[in-house]
Amino acid sequence: MNKIGITALVPPELIFACGAAPFDVNNVIPASRKYPGNKLCAWTAIWKEMLIKKEITVDSLIVVAGGDCHNALVDGQKAAMSGIPTHFFFYPFDGDLEYLESQLHRLSGFLGGIRSPEVLKKIQELKKQGQMLDKKRCRGKLSSAEAFRILISFSDLTGDLAGFSRAISALEEKDIDVRNRVALIGVPPIYHDFHEVAQTLGLHIVFDELPYEFIRHGGCDIKEMARDYCGYTFAMPLESRIDFLKKELRKRKVDAVIHYTQFACHHMLEDEVLREKLDYPLLTIQGDLPGNTPQQIKLRLEAFREMLDRL
Amino acid sequence: MIGLDLGSTAAKMVWIESGEIKFRITPAHNWKELVEGIDGDEIISTGYFRNSVPHRASLTELTAAVYGVRHYFPDAEVIVDIGGQDTKVIDVRNNNFIINDKCSAGTGAFLEFVANYFRIGLEELGPMHLNARRIPDINNTCGVFALSEMISQLVGGYSKEEVIAGMHYAFARRISHMVPEARSIVLIGGTVKNEGMVAALRNILEKEVLIPDEPQIINALGALEYYS
Repeated sequence: MNKIGITALVPPELIFACGAAPFDVNNVIPASRKYPGNKLCAWTAIWKEMLIKKEITVDSLIVVAGGDCHNALVDGQKAAMSGIPTHFFFYPFDGDLEYLESQLHRLSGFLGGIRSPEVLKKIQELKKQGQMLDKKRCRGKLSSAEAFRILISFSDLTGDLAGFSRAISALEEKDIDVRNRVALIGVPPIYHDFHEVAQTLGLHIVFDELPYEFIRHGGCDIKEMARDYCGYTFAMPLESRIDFLKKELRKRKVDAVIHYTQFACHHMLEDEVLREKLDYPLLTIQGDLPGNTPQQIKLRLEAFREMLDRL
Repeated sequence: MIGLDLGSTAAKMVWIESGEIKFRITPAHNWKELVEGIDGDEIISTGYFRNSVPHRASLTELTAAVYGVRHYFPDAEVIVDIGGQDTKVIDVRNNNFIINDKCSAGTGAFLEFVANYFRIGLEELGPMHLNARRIPDINNTCGVFALSEMISQLVGGYSKEEVIAGMHYAFARRISHMVPEARSIVLIGGTVKNEGMVAALRNILEKEVLIPDEPQIINALGALEYYS
């Protein structure tokens, strides 16, 4: 089975249906302890460097270059120049269904066409299980760290549907004292222990914005996928994303919001708008290089929790 | 019970005796001397090293600042805490805070850098500023590069006093970007003892600037008040 690197959300069901295994190149970064030389955002710089140095080996690469990560367009080309067969995938900004459908057909063509349509149903089932886990975490029946580890892996389903299904089944229910219900919005933190640290400091993350996108889209054919993935909020105008966030935050009864921003990522520019439009106590933090959650970030989290306790 | 603020450059201890606020301050590395003979159960700690000392309770310096400032200014809107290694701006009205701990410009460390360059004590910076007749423009927002700009101004004919005043203004401008709209602000932290720095901040911020009598002990006092 060919291993296909993906740099952001690309419908993994389509890659599996084309007889290949997706591999989200971001998922190795938080524990990588890599410090790239020439960088803006460390996420893209590290996967680019690891791909070029063949520390991540893939048969081909799909770069999401439109509608999400802008740095990936350049770092993806650098990876392509090193000889990796690369396809550039673009989401429509305006929700143009036909455009996304054509993008998915082009992607399918790059991957050699759909060969195993039967996996589409199976993945839909797995995503339903993901949504159940998300609800359990929200009810305090699952730790936010365990839930995050599984939900973030829905971008590529670890390239192994059977193994991933087993990992989901192995999760055990718990009773967690959920005091400060926090939504984590923005790109995922580059620190591998962020959810554990937040939990230790008394903040229970009940919503992870991007991983939630990984479990809520799907489809049993390209038409359905196009319809569904057109609602991928990170690719949509900011106002649509904010409307969606407001609904999710209300539904999850969150007390506060943490906006994680990544150094040199264009999403940082959204912070002032999110602060203005989301009517919750909001902590903005900025990460740069991977590793443990630094002391400076811990101080902010602890002070934020103390502030919530005072409310 | 004592409030103990173990910061990056100084350790501050506060206790109440016959209703009066008493305090002691030592360099951070001497903090053990401060608490000699005091049981950990008597200590409410705050500051960067708050968890390195035995304590009954600990809290972050951001929360301690809110409680400490409230003692002197119950209606405080915004607190600016200029510490040795970072600057924190707390908007008490909406429980918001910003911390600059990535760049030395805008922290006490930057002023220490300037004092070291001139081979003078930190406490001399303020009085020297007040003797400046002109204030040169020092625009660099990076502490290290500001030093080369400072040297250029010296070579260009400005006096040591004037260049120091220019540095205080550069520092104040850096901090002003972090301060939200407010009627007044409360300045705390060791750096606030520098009257040149305060003069520059008053000028740049164009707001009512309030300073408690002992700005360096506010977080230690806040830790104590938080627990009381």
